[in-house]
Amino acid sequence: MPLQLSLQQQSFLLEEERTQIERAQQDPRFFAPLYERYHEAIFRYVYRRVDEEEQAYDITSCVFVKALQALHKYEYRGLPFSAWLFRIAKSELYQSFRDQKAQRTVSIDKVVLKQVIEDWTEDYTEEDKARLLVALKGLKEQQLQLIEMRFFEKRSFKEIGEICGLSENNAKVKTFRAVLKLKDFFQQKE
Amino acid sequence: MLKILLDRKEPCSDEVRQRQNFNEILAAHNYQQKVNNPWRYWFYPVLAVCLLLLV
Repeated sequence: MPLQLSLQQQSFLLEEERTQIERAQQDPRFFAPLYERYHEAIFRYVYRRVDEEEQAYDITSCVFVKALQALHKYEYRGLPFSAWLFRIAKSELYQSFRDQKAQRTVSIDKVVLKQVIEDWTEDYTEEDKARLLVALKGLKEQQLQLIEMRFFEKRSFKEIGEICGLSENNAKVKTFRAVLKLKDFFQQKE
Repeated sequence: MLKILLDRKEPCSDEVRQRQNFNEILAAHNYQQKVNNPWRYWFYPVLAVCLLLLV
């Protein structure tokens, strides 16, 4: 029963969001509730990937201005609105890296780093930590993105797939391969 | 070059909310629209002036 209720609530929220999107497509002033809902999540996504806070704010602004400009093109085809915003954020971020306005950064909690290492080795040492950081630098950008989202941001495969434009299964397979690659780099340097 | 930051302090929700607001975004969007489609903003005033001149 609680699950049914939650499904009902989910569908109600989705319906409400679709109405808000349609209203915002007619008049951008009605975009406010959508902005309030997703602004912080987008900011944090950007912030963890750039080294300066000011740049994170600038890029987040650009994301929402671009979203407003492209809103008339948005059509619901199973992709949640949040994923559409994250895709814009991703594209803005990589544009900043290309223009050398921001530096590609990975923000990691030491606790998470420790958990990853403990899955692979019996004892966690400072040396292991340093080795994992070096191994991360050896990954390709897409592999790094997948590891980042799955392990450092604890996103579901469904969400990762939606942000990266992959199916849930494909996201799972690619993340698994990225982990193998990382483990490989980590163990090579032993 | 990839930079890795450990245990980085993140700004709290209130700080994020205070730093940026929707009105700024809307103003930036409106400005961008004016730059991209100037005819939209000048067409009616110019038409009104032309009509006034004709009258």
